[in-house]
Amino acid sequence: MSPTDIMTEPSYTERLEALRSSKAQQTLEKQRIRGAMDFDDHAVILPPEELRETVQTLGGSGVYFTDVLLKSFRPTPNHPNGAFYGPRATGENFRRLLEVHPVCIDPMSSLAGAYVANFMSYRTVPWNPDFDCTELLAEHAKYQTIPAIGGVQHMCQDMEMGLKLGWGGILEKIHHYRPLNPESEDFYAGLEHVVLGIQNLIRRHAEGARQMAAEHEEMRQNLLEIAEMNDHLVSNPPRTFREACQWNLWYQSVARMYNSSGSLGRLDMILVPYYERDTKAGILDDEEAIFHIACHLVRDTAYIQLGGPDLAGKDATNPVSFLILEAAHRLKIPANVGVCVGKDVEPKLIRRGVEVLMEDRIGVPKFLGVDNTINGFAANGFPVELARERVYAGCHWLAIPGREYALMDIVKVNLAAIFDVAMKDMLADSAVEPSIEELWSRYQKHLRSAMDTVAKGYDFQYEHNHKVFPELVLDLLCQGTIEKGLDASNGGVEFYTFGVDGSALATAADSFAAAEHRVEKQHRLTWKQLQAHLESNWAGPEGERARIMMKNSPRFGNGNSLGDEWAVRIARAFSDTVKAKPTPRGFMMIPGLFSWVLNLSMGKHIGATPNGRHASDGISHGANPDPGFRKDGAPTAIAVAVAAVQPGYGNTSPLQIDLDPSFSHGADDVEKVSALIQGHCNLGGTQVNINILSKEKILEAHKDPSKFPDLIVRVTGFSAYFASLSPEMRQFVVDRLLCEDGGK
Amino acid sequence: MLKHLKVETETQHAPAAPIVLGRVFNIQRFSLHDGPGIRTTVFLKGCPLHCLWCHNPEGVGASPSVSFLPEKCMACGECVRVCAHDAHRLEGSDAQGSVVNHVYDREACEKCGSCTEYCDSGALEFVGRPMSGDDVMKEVIQDRTFYASSAGGMTISGGEPLAQIDFTIALLRAAREQGIHCCVETSGFASWERIRTLLPLVNLFLYDCKEMDAQRHKDFTGQSNLLILKNLQSLHAAGAKIQLQCPIIPGCNDREDHFNGIVALAHSLPHLEGVLLLPYHPLGESKLQRFGLSPATNMPRRPLDPAQLDHWANWLRDQGVRVVNTPGAPTSAPSP
Repeated sequence: MSPTDIMTEPSYTERLEALRSSKAQQTLEKQRIRGAMDFDDHAVILPPEELRETVQTLGGSGVYFTDVLLKSFRPTPNHPNGAFYGPRATGENFRRLLEVHPVCIDPMSSLAGAYVANFMSYRTVPWNPDFDCTELLAEHAKYQTIPAIGGVQHMCQDMEMGLKLGWGGILEKIHHYRPLNPESEDFYAGLEHVVLGIQNLIRRHAEGARQMAAEHEEMRQNLLEIAEMNDHLVSNPPRTFREACQWNLWYQSVARMYNSSGSLGRLDMILVPYYERDTKAGILDDEEAIFHIACHLVRDTAYIQLGGPDLAGKDATNPVSFLILEAAHRLKIPANVGVCVGKDVEPKLIRRGVEVLMEDRIGVPKFLGVDNTINGFAANGFPVELARERVYAGCHWLAIPGREYALMDIVKVNLAAIFDVAMKDMLADSAVEPSIEELWSRYQKHLRSAMDTVAKGYDFQYEHNHKVFPELVLDLLCQGTIEKGLDASNGGVEFYTFGVDGSALATAADSFAAAEHRVEKQHRLTWKQLQAHLESNWAGPEGERARIMMKNSPRFGNGNSLGDEWAVRIARAFSDTVKAKPTPRGFMMIPGLFSWVLNLSMGKHIGATPNGRHASDGISHGANPDPGFRKDGAPTAIAVAVAAVQPGYGNTSPLQIDLDPSFSHGADDVEKVSALIQGHCNLGGTQVNINILSKEKILEAHKDPSKFPDLIVRVTGFSAYFASLSPEMRQFVVDRLLCEDGGK
Repeated sequence: MLKHLKVETETQHAPAAPIVLGRVFNIQRFSLHDGPGIRTTVFLKGCPLHCLWCHNPEGVGASPSVSFLPEKCMACGECVRVCAHDAHRLEGSDAQGSVVNHVYDREACEKCGSCTEYCDSGALEFVGRPMSGDDVMKEVIQDRTFYASSAGGMTISGGEPLAQIDFTIALLRAAREQGIHCCVETSGFASWERIRTLLPLVNLFLYDCKEMDAQRHKDFTGQSNLLILKNLQSLHAAGAKIQLQCPIIPGCNDREDHFNGIVALAHSLPHLEGVLLLPYHPLGESKLQRFGLSPATNMPRRPLDPAQLDHWANWLRDQGVRVVNTPGAPTSAPSP
């Protein structure tokens, strides 16, 4: 290669811009073909048109969307119902999918690979009917609880293990332990299929890069490097920073494809040894490092924690923490980077995080109340050193890499549905005089009953999931799975700490408060009248007047209000009930408060509630007060309210704040927003998601999202393109932002 | 008096300590424009000035007022039922027999607030609740974590805090006891004796400088600025920390001679913390209707062009005045 050739290669800035631009086109195409996507962008791209076919699938928020399948892959069933189950068949089918997966290389990127297929979409009947859970699901349905049964991933792999072993080392490990656990032959067969499939995928990309190099004069050198790098990575561990990024991207893409798993955890700590070695050797500078990280992030929205204490409690912020933040900043695409906030965390990292948040206005990064999640996890009886190993790994969740099966963010206990059942139960009982204390007593009874069902669901999942859809990709990077021949969902790892999220806190709290205030204290309505209004869904002018009266009762979030008292009481009761006893098999459960994007669908089957909510309307979002909770909508009021309801056992109850940029006052904005985040964490907050969005812009975009293809909002634990969201989810984001106008 | 307030006052301290009640028309949390850091601003009713551009007209009168937004009214008739003074009527009906017009007779209204207690739609609101220092502190104290993390605190604004001096003092004392940083936003139009009493209690005075020309000041606000300027000098001489708050009202004080006056004033106050320029937004007009008030015929209606804000900020800076505005950044509207 001559020096002239080097001169012609575009700069990192130009290459990044080209990657951003192709990402924008891919996003538009996804929106066109798949319709609404009320979930993480995931960085999945569509396969070429000639390779794809489309199917209708029901999305998480109850909206149908079009999913895309590869024409060239049909799974081989091993069950009369036409589906496939168990480790061997799953591994084999996944390997075949990887073997037909097209080669995706963007010559501008320093890394090969992009994923186009969701293996989950080929699982026609997700649960094996041989393990009958009909009755258990019916029990869950009574309280509209989202069960653990069939829940996948939501844990965190040990990336360092993978980077040390390489695919060859992992394969050797499987071969080493396979004869020692002959009863797990199917499991090992499944794991082996997965690794062979991955190696095939990498090998084909190396060949593909070499072929492309012949055609792309401008990027020839880059493509040849990609070819050489991937030849090496088929079996060997990465040697350089760039190779480590490439290895990470392969793992994450495959994990995403397998079952939407995607957690990088403490990427700054994972990459820093490579960074130090390469910069010392003079083969890497910061600009190049930022570029490699960006090339990863453009293809993978994996969840990343920056900073925070190491095992000894010393803050582990390092130069790579800043480089990752910078890469996300330059990309300005949905990314799930979390910056730790804690008493010993490097203040410059927090400051830089807030600067990026305010400059980019795409809800990135988020902020992690790391001291509170550590102390909270320790409150379950774990050593604090172990608690420090727990990393941010998903929307609102954490896990100890490779050692903890937590299944956080799956189970949702619908506190509004429990209220609904309790209310109907009380009003139907002619033997009792309705009262708020009677209602509370019944609410607690039904909450306990709902939790008993959740616990049984978890045990059922533990017993059977590994025979249905084992965690074959995560198992590769866990401590104990390969050694013991056991899936992570079934005894393969060290810790089982099942997450249970309470949802609809504000809906339940405001309902209790409104009933107490208007019926018991003010006697403005009788219980019978309230019942009639709820049953008629606030019909007629009388109903509407009653609804407004109930809605304008003292709300959760106002501060010192009846609604605040109820929220604390309900959150405590929820937390105590989750912690009261383990599952029947003896597994620990840990409470959090979160609804993900299910707040719309979780309200669909609930009748009108005394907080003025209409039947089938959405429930409140996560641990947040409902929009309109207070005239000034003060973010500090939300922050105080959400801090007051934290369960305190290490799982999070995120604070969601939407700021209009008009709050901006000048040079000290960064300090003020930092102070807001820091203040919430000082009060016990565990996670902070902030949007900085102009009301005018969001309303304009709501009318015609296509005019704002770059508008990214933090929906909940994840950020997404506004234009990719369903109209219902867009409305929800708009309502939240306009909350101070929501009194009526 | 409102029922719930009776209850609150009955459960206050021992009878020996008289409770000072104040008229508060708003308590705003996460206030970022009224002093340093994150603050809670407590707005007190009553102001001796009548600025043409006042954007808190509900804060001018000392007595309570009732805000009425007819478009929010659901014609439930509760106000008609509870009003002892026949101040509310529902009139007319459409084809379906629905009431279409809620008439609120402000002349007849005694401002007792009963109707607002029962107005669930929020069409009627009582503004200027009597509150004790403790009542206010219950609200203020909630954000103390954020005061600590941002070097913020409480700001008393108005209206004119000096017009309710006993309550202002009570509030400041209560806040100081909690270690909360205190600002007072004032026009300075009060006796020096009053202002002096605040010296040990206020961390930073946000002192209005609306117009340097005495006659124009009188034309714009109803009062001359002689006492205000004299008090400012005394306050400065007493060692108080002061930030000048200068609203720029297009067509009123956006003149070189006024800004020359500010320069001279700032130079005569060597320990001044700085000058904050406040661009005018005609926010007060929409509020006037809610309180049954009419705008003054010469009320300014044009917001300040942001470029003008930068122009005057640079103009002052060029003459050695410390302007605390950030170039290009908007700030809040001026106080009354």
